[in-house]
Amino acid sequence: MREHEQVNTMIKHHPDDNLLVEFSAGTLAFAQSIAVSSHLHFCDHCRRRAERLNSIGANLMSDCDSVAVSEDLLDKVFSKLDQPGKTEVRVPKGRSKMPRVIDKLLTQQGQPRWQFLTPSLDMARLHTGQQEFEVALHRIKAGGSVAEHDHRGTEITLVLDGSFSDENGIYHEGDFLMRDAGQVHRPLASRDAPCICLSVVAAPVRMTGKFTRLLNPFLSFKPQ
Amino acid sequence: MNDPSHRDDEWSQLLESIAQQRCKTSFAQFFNHFSPLLKGFLIKGSRLNHAQAEELVQEVMIKVWQRAGQFDAKKSSASTWLYTIARNSRIDWLRRQANAVTEELAADDLYEDETSETPFSLLQHHRQHNSVHDALAGLPDEQALVLRKVYMEGLSHSEVSEDLALPLGTVKSRVRLALKKLQDVIGREVLA
Ligand SMILES: [Zn+2]
Ligand SMILES: [Zn+2]
Repeated sequence: MREHEQVNTMIKHHPDDNLLVEFSAGTLAFAQSIAVSSHLHFCDHCRRRAERLNSIGANLMSDCDSVAVSEDLLDKVFSKLDQPGKTEVRVPKGRSKMPRVIDKLLTQQGQPRWQFLTPSLDMARLHTGQQEFEVALHRIKAGGSVAEHDHRGTEITLVLDGSFSDENGIYHEGDFLMRDAGQVHRPLASRDAPCICLSVVAAPVRMTGKFTRLLNPFLSFKPQ
Repeated sequence: MNDPSHRDDEWSQLLESIAQQRCKTSFAQFFNHFSPLLKGFLIKGSRLNHAQAEELVQEVMIKVWQRAGQFDAKKSSASTWLYTIARNSRIDWLRRQANAVTEELAADDLYEDETSETPFSLLQHHRQHNSVHDALAGLPDEQALVLRKVYMEGLSHSEVSEDLALPLGTVKSRVRLALKKLQDVIGREVLA
């Protein structure tokens, strides 16, 4: 109990119970699961919570009414066991700085392709093979600030590197924030280092006119 | 059934001999016990038909064979380990059905960091498993129902809310209440 809290005492913001239950049950939207998974990379406390939640799933599964399988199913499985290939080699879990899932996405796509959004903000989209959410990295320059904006759809932000603050507090590496549509804020990176965040936004309502291209959360300006 | 802790121990040992001796007898035992449960889980849960459920059971069991070496009794109980494999296979299966599968990511990529740095002892796992078991049995029906919908049927909170014609807030608070109750029991027994 005590040691694991030393792993990353800076983390103050965690996914709530409902979100973590959905993650553990496998019913959370795939894109949002990327953010929860990335949080677990940083947060031993939530890994333990997730473990406990998984044991709920395991118990329910073990207590479920069994349904007999076909008699030849075991033979079918046996016939496939010795097929070569597919032995899974996994690199042991070192705590590389980036969550493995982000590493993997970046490895597949090559270096992040940063797009200039404003003098203090860049964005690099991550291709996750789904359309309901936009998944992207945002980089706020040291000391940079982001225009005040509201959220068109639920947005999850996970700090990957550095820190930023807004009216409600300061967020460090590993902190997990979920904002509902309509919440307004104005993020500010700390003065000494840039801040890189993962953001997962429910595909926002398309805006009209000249704002159409500004679909990312940091730039969906509040209508005047 | 009566002594789940003993049973779980047995499954852990089977997994170890599957990993170390590549023992097919142990594998068959494991398979014979868990396959019907898995099939039940998949049919009830994801509304798969029998053929589809058996496809998935096969997939899961082949992974059990391939990954037995990654099982660590200090990190999870055998049934929790199996549950996570089944859950991930179900996620990928549903995504394949929805044509949402790409080369980018599979469920396993999202769920590899689920065990904590400070492993439980085997005993703690048993206690956790058992106390979760007892605590689940002691939940009020309405809370147990919601948890089953989420875990077994694989419904999101908003789908449960539609399914049961309950406000989303009610579903969420029932889940939280259930967890709180489980938490109290687990906290008492595991950390005692
Ligand atoms: Zn956490
Ligand atoms: Zn924002």
